[in-house]
Amino acid sequence: MSAPEPRLFGARVPRVEDDRLLKGQGRFVADLDFAGSLYAKFVRSDESSSDIFDFDVGKALACEKVRAVFTGDDFAGAEIRCVSAYEGFQTSSQPILATDRTRFAGEAVAMVVAEDEYAAEDAAEDVFFSVLPLEPVAGLDDALGDGREPVHAGWTGHAFVRRSMATGGFERVAGSAAHRVTIELRNARHGAIPMEGRACVARYDRGSGLFELWTTTQIPHLIRAGLADALGVAESRIRVISPDVGGGFGVKAQLYPEEVACCLAARELDRPVKWVEDRREHFFASHHSREHRHQVTGYFDDDGVLTALEADIAVDMGAYSVFPWTSTMDCGMAMGILPGPYRVQEYSVTGTAYCTNKAPYGAYRGVARPAACFSIERLIDRIAKHRGIDRAEVRRRNLIGPGDYPWHSPSGLVYDSGSLPESLDKVLEASGYDRLLADQALARAEGRLFGIGLAVFTEQTAHTTREFQQRGVPIVFGYETAKVRLDATGTAVVSASIHDHGQGLETTLAQIAADRLGLRLEDIRVEYGDTDQVAYGAGTFASRSAVLAGGAVVKAADAVGDTLRQVAAHRLEASPADIVIGQNRLSVSGSPGAFIETAELCRLVYQRPESLPRGVEPILEASRTYDADPGTGVYTNAAHLASVEVDPLTGKTIVLSYAIVEDCGPMINPTIVEGQIFGGVAQGIGTALFEEFVYDDEARLLTSTFSDYLIPTMTDIPDFAVDHLETPSPHTIGGLKGMGEGGAIAPGAAIASAIEDALSPVGDAVVAELPLTPERVLALLNRAQQQGDQR
Amino acid sequence: MEVNGRAVTTEVDGRMLLSDFLRGVIGLTGTHVGCEHGYCGSCTVLIDGASARSCLMLAAQANGSMVSTVEGLADGEQLSIVQQAFKSCHGLQCGFCTPGLLMAVSEMAAETASSPSRDLIREQLAGNLCRCTGYHQIVDAVEQALGSTSRGPR
Amino acid sequence: MKPPKFRYHAPSSLDEALDLLATYGDDAVVLSGGQSLIPMLNLRLARPAEVVDIARIDGLGYVEAGECSVSVGALVTHRKMETDPEVARLLPMAREAAGLIGFRAIRNRGTVGGSVAHADPSAEWPAVLLALDGSVEMRSSSGVRQVDASDFFKSVFTTARRPDEIVSSVRFGSRFAGNWGFSEFQRRTGDFAVVVAAVACADSSDRSGETRVALAGVADRPVRCAEAEAALADASDPRAAAEAARDAFDPAGDAHGSTAYRKQLVYAQVLRAATQALTRRAGRRPDG
Repeated sequence: MSAPEPRLFGARVPRVEDDRLLKGQGRFVADLDFAGSLYAKFVRSDESSSDIFDFDVGKALACEKVRAVFTGDDFAGAEIRCVSAYEGFQTSSQPILATDRTRFAGEAVAMVVAEDEYAAEDAAEDVFFSVLPLEPVAGLDDALGDGREPVHAGWTGHAFVRRSMATGGFERVAGSAAHRVTIELRNARHGAIPMEGRACVARYDRGSGLFELWTTTQIPHLIRAGLADALGVAESRIRVISPDVGGGFGVKAQLYPEEVACCLAARELDRPVKWVEDRREHFFASHHSREHRHQVTGYFDDDGVLTALEADIAVDMGAYSVFPWTSTMDCGMAMGILPGPYRVQEYSVTGTAYCTNKAPYGAYRGVARPAACFSIERLIDRIAKHRGIDRAEVRRRNLIGPGDYPWHSPSGLVYDSGSLPESLDKVLEASGYDRLLADQALARAEGRLFGIGLAVFTEQTAHTTREFQQRGVPIVFGYETAKVRLDATGTAVVSASIHDHGQGLETTLAQIAADRLGLRLEDIRVEYGDTDQVAYGAGTFASRSAVLAGGAVVKAADAVGDTLRQVAAHRLEASPADIVIGQNRLSVSGSPGAFIETAELCRLVYQRPESLPRGVEPILEASRTYDADPGTGVYTNAAHLASVEVDPLTGKTIVLSYAIVEDCGPMINPTIVEGQIFGGVAQGIGTALFEEFVYDDEARLLTSTFSDYLIPTMTDIPDFAVDHLETPSPHTIGGLKGMGEGGAIAPGAAIASAIEDALSPVGDAVVAELPLTPERVLALLNRAQQQGDQR
Repeated sequence: MEVNGRAVTTEVDGRMLLSDFLRGVIGLTGTHVGCEHGYCGSCTVLIDGASARSCLMLAAQANGSMVSTVEGLADGEQLSIVQQAFKSCHGLQCGFCTPGLLMAVSEMAAETASSPSRDLIREQLAGNLCRCTGYHQIVDAVEQALGSTSRGPR
Repeated sequence: MKPPKFRYHAPSSLDEALDLLATYGDDAVVLSGGQSLIPMLNLRLARPAEVVDIARIDGLGYVEAGECSVSVGALVTHRKMETDPEVARLLPMAREAAGLIGFRAIRNRGTVGGSVAHADPSAEWPAVLLALDGSVEMRSSSGVRQVDASDFFKSVFTTARRPDEIVSSVRFGSRFAGNWGFSEFQRRTGDFAVVVAAVACADSSDRSGETRVALAGVADRPVRCAEAEAALADASDPRAAAEAARDAFDPAGDAHGSTAYRKQLVYAQVLRAATQALTRRAGRRPDG
């Protein structure tokens, strides 16, 4: 039996979802307008750690149009807990509304529900309570010291968990290494900041006892699981729907207290309750990410070959362990991926996830990999400097080569395939490296600070059951589910457990389904984001949706295709094995005249059951799951090259050019792949130069508007040059690899490298902290100057 | 006021923002609200042909004006040239910032005689934040829509 | 982030507006373009009881050239300043500054009068006004008065305007013609300026040697820097001027920069603006 010939796989087809989004016909949660809706506004704590007491909601309740005011005690039965299976894990439980203690600035302490948003916000100002500020664990400095009380009662120390591992030969190899360098690296706390904040609408049907939650989430089924826990009701009584979502990038991949609160309020008030987060709330209370401190030591030989790697990783996970990831995610990921694309075999690492009085910490595109890439790439640059070897050359000497796969990393990961040296060489080409060097020479002759930086990385993608089992998370994320149903007119509905919030999966899954079913793109409708559509699945995160949902669609479509073949074979008096699916028909191989239109066949199945062969049921529907082997992920790789110019008077850095060569295996739709890369790189440029949640000494957030928290604008991002390699994974259906996060991983490393290079004519200053704000760059320039003067 | 060519007469609270009026009162939810302090540009509409943040205007301020929103761009099923260019060039991902961008580009399209450079496009549209695309393909789309021929490196 | 309750007034004449202000005094705020006021309302940083929208008043949208000054009606938008040919000819510094304010959509609605009355200490117009020896015209139901820019700006968001007055126009001196420099530091395009330097100087032939260096973002109001002016007037030395300005102020630090960094920005902006001004005075075009 021959598989259908791919016609759409690999094609740069325009997206099917675009028309509705371009016409303003998308349906986002904030757009929903259910009859009788009430509107919620949360009262939030200004202080990070404080005792709160003596609530007075009388004045708020008396306000015009106010229907209810809830405080912590009203929701006391519910909480968000997420406990890791790691030994020694200290857990937290997050109240839906703080009862007697707040643990981060922005934590919700009361909920006002009113007839409109304006009235709710007015009344929220009239909720009164007493506050006794406590000494907070204001950040990693406090957490690393021993002068502060732990955030949670009954804890020993400030760590959610600390873990260590070392390879057997580490001590020996490190001890006998010819050279070593140590660097300390800091990555500022920042976040995903999608243009749409969070929002939800909860409805409760008294008759059926059914909760319906419309929410901006990437993970509807997991939200249902978390809600079932928090509300204490069966999953069959909860439907979670996530319609069009305005970007997620990880921050919408956790359960939040507001979602639980709206469900509880809707049940209590018997009206739909809607909440639309405002931008300030988003900065304060949507989960933050990226705050890592690493101390990394590289041991290497005269040729700059890294022989052993040692790391101490600290992550500020904020106040609570988040559902469903726990508070171990970033630390574990960093420990695993730090050796990155290099052949180093001896490794010793300790990682600690700290609990502080900052906002809880969740996923953000790349999860720990930007920090890991920053550390290892900065280290490699240091080795190049130490040995006087060109930065590209030192990488060539260390990169995992084409003959090394499957590569067993010293942290226990198995890299399936890749093209690291090739991607490095190709990015030099794609960036016009020779021209850049000429530009640099010219700029330097004029005294301008022009730098070129490189970064290479592997991106663990589509990791499934085995990986998440090892990570100790309470729900093991493995498979995804797809359901394919052909209707009586010969078109198909594909339902998926993943979610699409800009990644183009509505199109790429349709491309896959159309190919497998021999239909046109417009014959396929892809739906997602509704727990009633498919049985289960984890959702969209961790660069996995195209691989896992794509695989599931292939399996489900083929199952339906088998039925079609059987019926067609019966009809055309041929063997099912000789039936070819394609071009909206089923035909007999080698007999062009013998065919039946797919639409006609579908009509027969549903409407003329008497014409079916014995044993074939009148249904063209199949649900399948796909859990990519071996479960530890398939590895995309890429090389990035940036050129920058630094203003010596202000320290402001302009990114002049940015080139990417990415190998994510076969591409379903290269235009969409490029869009994902560009978007990730722009976010990475934000990481590199702009984005930082600044807290004061009392852990109060200072950056709570878009004029303080800077995300890159159109003039901060250069045109991109991009090229591709396509090394298929030996493990996955279609050889697919994930790539959604990759773009965001390397820019911090590449731009830091470029800035260090730009400053190098002045002197040597180690660039080891992100973001590289103008003030920090100017300080580096001064340091370079001092170093240069001493030379 | 007149919204997308349709006269709208209604009484509103003096403090109601134009963005809330468009979305909540007359149901034009294509205009999106991303920050409510004038920074992100998602809520951009045209007031008498000139771009404005609908979150930084009271509905009452638009009294007597012609307001254009994303819903008025397409001619039925037929996308406008700007919309079509965004589709052809993959100039949108999640689509949340897109309506505001389309309105800002429409303003440019109405007043730009010659093909603007990519730098000028970036300069003009710097007030519209997008978190998905990294902007490259938006600039491609604007170049295409405004008839530019030069292409950036790919 | 919704505005608090207030009463909205849309007077159709200046007299009507002035009556409202006379009646409500401190309880009223004037709304013109709203690009500063409405964000403050949305963030509930402003809580006026009465909002007087002056946008429907005729006759405040003019740009009028006088002998050695240009008068700009309060409702003239930043965008008009950016595109008006008279402004480009007579007040090239103002044109340059206008283009750096916020984003296109903000410039379409924000007004010169509104910005001046708002008196953000790091904003462009106050600095330009000071550099160009400008003044502010205010009207109330009891009369008209003209206040020099140097006396108008008092502190953060605080001016010489009485609650019953409206800023009706601002006047920029145009006698410095082409001898100007303007430089501001923004983190990103359209961001609020961190530090602004505006430099204007008399022609070389002018024996007065008048030199004006105005800065925004260094104090609680826009200020001139006498030390920098002296360095430029005496020696035509931008570097000395920049050093003098850097040493003259200790701007408060915040999330956008420490005091030390802001001092360095003062140096950078004064150096650039002064260099531009001297280059232009010498009849050449500045770089960039």
